Amino acid sequence: MWAGLWASQFTTPPLQCHVTSTLTYENDCKPDENGKKGASRWSHCRKRGADGNLRKSYEVEEPGKCSHSSRRPESFTTPESEGPVSRVKNWGDEVEAEEMRSNVRRDMHRYRRRILEADFPQRDRKISSGSSDSRDSRDSKESPAKGDLETDETTLIRRQKQINYGKNTLAYDRYIKDVPKDMRQPGVHPKTPNKFKKYSRRSWDQQIKLWRVKLHAWDPPAEEGSDLQQIEEIDLGEIMDFELDVECSADTESQCPTSSGASLLETEKFKLKDAT
Amino acid sequence: MDSAWTALDVVTQTMVQKAIADPKTVDLEKLSNAIVDQSLKDLSFCKDAGRMCYAVVQAEVQKAATSVFRRNLLTRLQQEFTAREETRNHSVQEWVCLVTFICSIFDYIKVNNAPLVALVDPIYDCLFRLAQPDALMNEEEVDCLVVQLHRVGEQLEQTNSQRMNQLFYLLRDGFLLQEDLSSMTRLLLLEILEFRASGWTLTNTAHKYYYSEVVD
Repeated sequence: MWAGLWASQFTTPPLQCHVTSTLTYENDCKPDENGKKGASRWSHCRKRGADGNLRKSYEVEEPGKCSHSSRRPESFTTPESEGPVSRVKNWGDEVEAEEMRSNVRRDMHRYRRRILEADFPQRDRKISSGSSDSRDSRDSKESPAKGDLETDETTLIRRQKQINYGKNTLAYDRYIKDVPKDMRQPGVHPKTPNKFKKYSRRSWDQQIKLWRVKLHAWDPPAEEGSDLQQIEEIDLGEIMDFELDVECSADTESQCPTSSGASLLETEKFKLKDAT
Repeated sequence: MDSAWTALDVVTQTMVQKAIADPKTVDLEKLSNAIVDQSLKDLSFCKDAGRMCYAVVQAEVQKAATSVFRRNLLTRLQQEFTAREETRNHSVQEWVCLVTFICSIFDYIKVNNAPLVALVDPIYDCLFRLAQPDALMNEEEVDCLVVQLHRVGEQLEQTNSQRMNQLFYLLRDGFLLQEDLSSMTRLLLLEILEFRASGWTLTNTAHKYYYSEVVD
């Protein structure tokens, strides 16, 4: 008997799923307001839209109704990607990512302008007071030709994150208060790597490591448990990100999902103790 | 900002002042929650709350180089947004406050002079909800809808014009086809339709038509 009922459901034209009694949703619902939710012929049978959010007028008391929505994937993992992706984006994360992107773009514009100025020096060139990581355009030996800039946004953002980790330390704060920029001596004083120059992955990561080691010279004075203090400067988020950058094979740009955060924590502790 | 300021209790007022002076001395998560809580209760507060939040965000960026307050604010807002339908069901007033507050944040808080892209679709979702037939029956929801469109409509359209077009189809349909709308609602809808059609501004004629009886 049930089989018969099922069969009758399935022989009706697919566009009209005869489930209208409790569904308050009309078939000709404007696909636009649920545009993101996937306007397929089964849309109104589905509990969730393609973006993962519950549809507004879904009524739960219809078990087994549209089981030919087996078109819905079991998980939200697409074959090409690294793994299940969180369906609902976090506003805080999104805003911070957007901020980082626009900061990098702004830095790029400033840097390009600075390079142009270096090529065509003006009489009273004003030194900008804003902090920036790429101030060496005036050194024509090092200054890259206009076509030789690193422009890949993913790379730039990754490099900027690494720079930010270094700048978020007490050591860096103390360093910039201690030594004004015009008093810096090359070789003696640590210099932030220039993210716009072309470097291999390995080279860049090495420059960052050396820069951070040098910065440790400005660590706050040793107190009881100062080793602990230094380690606490690095939070786990930093480790995970840094590790992804470092552990992957040096010449590839791919992000390898690893989970051995602990091993890098050990490496970091080791380096810090080395540097003290 | 006066009305917004006095709407806050003394404790929160003090927290805001301290946060602006020295962000590190204040529990910014607690502050963001206090501001959101007040916004959901008080419609006059939430219009200007965005400006207050902006002040705290700026202070934190400049003095502490962190963005804890903004992050907490956004996380809390996202929670409230996710629960908006239930909120609307138990209090239309609170729902209206929520939409007003989110739009106020969108209006004031920028990232490198660009609007918060993360809020664009959620705001559209809210406006679409307000444009539904059942919501058009409530004058407070219609009022909220048109006020927000006046305020942030142009910016929203710049970031996603397609959704704005769709929203206005709904508004036009509501105005033309929905029979049970109050005359005030119709007037508000007509005004916003004209407002957008003139490029998010009112021509002199239109202004005279709609506001001639409004005491300045």
